[in-house]
Amino acid sequence: MSKKKDKQQEDQAKQRASTLAALLKEKPKRGRPSHNVSRQNVYVALAKSQKKQMKQLAGLLANEISRADVPDLAISILSARLEALRRAVADRNREMPEGITDFESLYLLWDLPLPTADEKEPSWTSIRVSPQQAIELGRAHGTLNAVFGANRSQTFSLALSLLEQLIEDHPLIQQYVTVEDLRKYIIDLHS
Amino acid sequence: MNETTPFNLDFNQYSPDWDRLGVVVPPFTIEADPRFMYLSTETRRALSKVSYMVEAGQGASVIVGEIGTGKTTLASWFHSRYDRRPDFTAAKIDEAPKKSGLLLLRRIAAEFGLRTRRATEDQLNEFRAFLVEESERGVLPLIIVDEAHELSHEQFVELRRLLNFRDPRGGKAYQLILLGRPELDINLRESPDFNDRVATRSSLDPLTPDDTKSLIEYRLLAAGRDSKQSVLFTDDAILPIWRETRGYPRSICLLCLHLCLEFLTHDDLTQIGEQFVKDFLEKHDDYRRATE
Repeated sequence: MSKKKDKQQEDQAKQRASTLAALLKEKPKRGRPSHNVSRQNVYVALAKSQKKQMKQLAGLLANEISRADVPDLAISILSARLEALRRAVADRNREMPEGITDFESLYLLWDLPLPTADEKEPSWTSIRVSPQQAIELGRAHGTLNAVFGANRSQTFSLALSLLEQLIEDHPLIQQYVTVEDLRKYIIDLHS
Repeated sequence: MNETTPFNLDFNQYSPDWDRLGVVVPPFTIEADPRFMYLSTETRRALSKVSYMVEAGQGASVIVGEIGTGKTTLASWFHSRYDRRPDFTAAKIDEAPKKSGLLLLRRIAAEFGLRTRRATEDQLNEFRAFLVEESERGVLPLIIVDEAHELSHEQFVELRRLLNFRDPRGGKAYQLILLGRPELDINLRESPDFNDRVATRSSLDPLTPDDTKSLIEYRLLAAGRDSKQSVLFTDDAILPIWRETRGYPRSICLLCLHLCLEFLTHDDLTQIGEQFVKDFLEKHDDYRRATE
């Protein structure tokens, strides 16, 4: 009886070890940048066109910046724009100016094309964002959800539109070869 | 069918049975009433940009639009929204006095409840003292000028002097919203000193057919019609209305008012359709004059 129990325990230990080994095994780094960064998975619903847009935007940036860096940059812009908006109404008794009546008004305020309903249902996608950007996305989502009931996916879509606009309006952006430099440029632009 | 139409009656004495439309107040009036303001994309763009500039203390904002595009409604909206806030005090000038800069300053002063003075410098000193007082209370003065295309160069000079006042934060102390016809842009070009201080420009364009439909539905809803009821204006009725009015909100309201009045004289009808609109326009091409 005890022999049988020992064997069972041995098997279990083996199984555990093999699970651990599997976890430790090197996996293909899908969607991760070549440089070493610790990033968090955030789930958002994106339309196919938006996924394509992310790839296109990465193509318009310096070669050193990959598609995986796009969410970080988009969130940095949204965060900077919202901060500028917050500063503008700092002494007032509202979080948003009086005339910004709904989520779409932010698109209108910032001269962005209004979001259109995609022909197909958006699918849930995991985007990988740096810890600081994860916090910033959470903060932006919190603000926009409280004021307009916007969800995280809508918040991220707004961020993507802002990045697209930035690249269109500032073609010299290609000279920034690191995400950090680009982030600094974005903050300076909106401060 | 009742053959009596409102056109055979004394218009002022005709009392329509609005209940039949399922509304509690007349849905279509040509008066500027912010409660009935339909927010088209262009209106929302103007609202968001101008209110951002006002609250950020950026100074002057300009909104241009042709007659009947909703400028006065927008002016009333800004006035009603900001005047009720504790951190703003708003003065609305519906029609500026002709030419004189001093008269304009005096009109603005009267709207803020300030003393009116006979000399420009004295009047500006009143504004300065008012500003110090309001700044201490954390209140930002907002001036809204409707029909601003009628302002003269001299008046722009005085408004510019008001814009030069600074609040303790370093922002512009007086916030200004000018609303007027497209000529306003031309007049501003002739006053470059003021023009340079304009923080944002917006324009109100005529509505698209889709927006026309939304405006009609919104007004009926705002007047109390139950959204569960079948539509009063069918989809095919929208295009002839839009063609006739070219998408100008005031014209749409005027035509819809007359269509509703005509509809109420036909007991057998439940909806306003394309044929009804066409027949009406053929029969009453002078409907615009009926309310004059």
